Amino acid sequence: MSKITYNKEIIGDLMDGKLDWHRTKAIISGHKDEDRFEKHLEALSERTPWKEKILLPLTDELFIVAKGTERIIKCRCGYEYGDYRENWKLSALIHVRETEEEINELYPYPSKPDPQYCEIREFYCPGCGTQLEVETVPFGYPLVFDFLPDLDTFYREWLKKPLDNEKEFKDLTYDVIKCWAKEG
Amino acid sequence: MKLTKESTQGIAYNGKTIKELLEERDKRTAKSGYYYGLKELELYKGDPMKLELFFSRLLAATIAGRETTRMISGSPQIREVAELATGLYTAEGDCVLQSTGIIIHIPLMGEVIKWMINQDYEHEEGIHDGDIITSNDNVIAGMHPPDVYDIIPIFYHEKLVGWAATVIMEAELGAVAPGAMSSAASERFLDGIRFSAEKTGENDVHYKSFERRVRSGVRLPDLFLLDRKGALAANIKVREDIRRIIEEFGLDYFIEAQRELIEIERRAQLERVKRRTVPGKFHVPVTFENYMTKTFVPPHHAIDQIRLVPMDFIIQPDGKYFLDLDGAGPWGWHPSNTTPSSMRGAMCLLLSQTIAYTGAANEGTMMCVDMNLPYDSYVNPSSKNIATGNLFSFPINGGGAWLRLQSMAFFSRGFVEECIAGSPTSATFGMSGKDHYGNDFGFLMTDIAGTCGSGAFAIRDGLTGHAPWQPVSDMGNVEVWELFLPLSWTGRGLLPNSCGWGKYRGGFSIMATWMVYKSQLLGLDITPVVLLDKIYPNSGMFGGYTGTGPFYKMVEGANTETLLQEKLPLLHHYGHPLNPDMEKNIQGRHLLETSRGVSIPGVFRHGDWLQVHYGQQAGGFGDPIKRDTGLIKKDLDSGLITLEISGKIFGMAASYDEHREEWIIDQDKTIKLREEKKKERLRKGIPVKEWWKKRRKDLLQGKMPELMKDMYNCSLDKGEHWSRNFKSFWMLRDDFTF
Repeated sequence: MSKITYNKEIIGDLMDGKLDWHRTKAIISGHKDEDRFEKHLEALSERTPWKEKILLPLTDELFIVAKGTERIIKCRCGYEYGDYRENWKLSALIHVRETEEEINELYPYPSKPDPQYCEIREFYCPGCGTQLEVETVPFGYPLVFDFLPDLDTFYREWLKKPLDNEKEFKDLTYDVIKCWAKEG
Repeated sequence: MKLTKESTQGIAYNGKTIKELLEERDKRTAKSGYYYGLKELELYKGDPMKLELFFSRLLAATIAGRETTRMISGSPQIREVAELATGLYTAEGDCVLQSTGIIIHIPLMGEVIKWMINQDYEHEEGIHDGDIITSNDNVIAGMHPPDVYDIIPIFYHEKLVGWAATVIMEAELGAVAPGAMSSAASERFLDGIRFSAEKTGENDVHYKSFERRVRSGVRLPDLFLLDRKGALAANIKVREDIRRIIEEFGLDYFIEAQRELIEIERRAQLERVKRRTVPGKFHVPVTFENYMTKTFVPPHHAIDQIRLVPMDFIIQPDGKYFLDLDGAGPWGWHPSNTTPSSMRGAMCLLLSQTIAYTGAANEGTMMCVDMNLPYDSYVNPSSKNIATGNLFSFPINGGGAWLRLQSMAFFSRGFVEECIAGSPTSATFGMSGKDHYGNDFGFLMTDIAGTCGSGAFAIRDGLTGHAPWQPVSDMGNVEVWELFLPLSWTGRGLLPNSCGWGKYRGGFSIMATWMVYKSQLLGLDITPVVLLDKIYPNSGMFGGYTGTGPFYKMVEGANTETLLQEKLPLLHHYGHPLNPDMEKNIQGRHLLETSRGVSIPGVFRHGDWLQVHYGQQAGGFGDPIKRDTGLIKKDLDSGLITLEISGKIFGMAASYDEHREEWIIDQDKTIKLREEKKKERLRKGIPVKEWWKKRRKDLLQGKMPELMKDMYNCSLDKGEHWSRNFKSFWMLRDDFTF
């Protein structure tokens, strides 16, 4: 059987949600294309208004990009967050829905979270005001580091294309917090 | 063939005992890293088409078995909702493959077989051709007691060559509260009828003593017994097909080929992970609320608790999945703990629908998942006396949360079509009393399988009629349910404004409305499937919100007779959120319940009313103000959302054209509204550092409810790295407690 592959226009339409259902269903049901990641990055680079090379899409708006010898998280709008090993939420804006009115806006029926027990945290990009993530978590829970990719293992061992400037696979979030604490 | 311990001749196909066989399998697998030491796949290499044909024959046998059961069972749960599955196991108890259906049980029925092997049934009980073994003891293995396993050995020329097993979900178990998942079962002695891998028949016929025990032990014995006969028929069908397959392929091929199928699947799973995901570490907190003061339990079990299970999901460099639940709070005297067995079931269910969906999932798939389930915790209780009525709570709740984590890995790898937000809830209820024929009855309502809305996908809206725990989602026909239950369906419909909001929205869940019909005594038990009441789950993705959860509304002593006589409106759906039809149309004692796991303090009779929203708290995907206006219009035109939501959540302006009977989008105003929304966010959003300082102060001052303090203290006490991370994030002393 020949290997399945799709051109980047199809991959682009798929990621944009513009591919018709008939084609989308065929992709869902069929064998997976082995060059998806490469095609996906190609299509993404055409959809981002900056030059840095995308190493990994983290969300539909945030990307890990190579910047010099560093790897940082960048928003589609161009706003730059820190090292990809720090939780990007530390550099975002936050709003917690706390009032009854704000909760009812989302949940008009009898079942709804209790703000004394549950925080609905909205994270906005300081650069463009996009809502990047919503955390619905127990009150007082640390910010959730949703995904810390093991980027060098991925490129070196899985893609067989090692990246320059390897970084230790380590959560650096707590280093930032320590600095905050020192500032008082 | 009953053997004495001194016997050297075992019942297995090669003359060994099955215990020896299991030990050999363990030894060869552990030593080589390959299933049964199969470094080379000789049969596959020699003739792959023959192996494929062999696989198809086996699969066809299990599917035919399952369908046979559906024709025999009397329960709407089986005939309509299809809560069953049939599997084939090696002599050692490893799953080779399973039919379609509730595939959560792939590893678990095998665990029961292994338990019997380790308990030395071969010598103690004797294992014979024609034996029937029944098990729903979840301390041995299982997801919850209503999932009853019927297992038979498969002999070929008087030697054991494998096992056939069928799982059927029962609607009634004779537990302390009605239905099959009792909220009031706080210890296993209250779970209802239990079979601990017991021999319930021989020569393909159930014992009369077994039938008598069922008749005295459950509220609907006929359905229970019919299901056992259905399961037996399925197993016999598989057994006879397997004997024919052995005749065709030969015994040696049969044994070796099954092992190769398991090893091939193990390798395939690792390869799939490496080709579709990205390695790394993912995290989500999962909580459980158990309000045992709201149900009927012994006084020393009547304690309200919230428990935390932090979940790290790690995709390892070798392609194996690792689930680390360090920091899981303690187990308790309530029905909603979980066990290592039910955790394996959960992972099997999720994997076989999201990444191992070729129909070949088996023991090999499960060899690619490791877990840290801290002993003496919520996910690995130290007591064997725990209630098991709702072991399903973590698999559904934690499993729904885990779906979102794996989706992030798919998304990052570019497989956006496989990315789905979380869907961690389910709702149902048990009932008992008098049915519409005047008989005593009890039943667990399970039309939920086809009524929940899914999480949104990364490229499209979520589905209606989606339950991760029941892949063959079907709510069943009302007319069939009405034959069995003293309820008259007056409405089934989607509840507007209730999904998880986002650029792509979650699926809407269904609200069902019933009038109690010809019952003079109906008691309800809100089954504690998942316990997310005050703390909603983190199921939205990339800017999407968590959807609305379940709730139950009831009217006791309703004025229905008057309404009928005066030809006034009855009740068919919810109505407007601020002026619901139930309150507007029906007079009587109105009851509302949102938290799961309560016995309703009411007795309902003919003419009373019940409404349930089967909200799955499924998440939306992406920033709602980036939603395509055409999709919003479609929802407005369909009545799924209101103009108010359109403006507040999506930032879309529209007006209704009475003449054309459709909504017209105001594109210019929408652009302005969305820009204003963004500006508003930049105004009201504060730097996370400021929030961190404020919240840290709140925590140090103990500004949270006592139940929350208890929740954190329990996890801080039990966790190792989670506890360290919590304290590091908030810069707390090593000995900090709330």
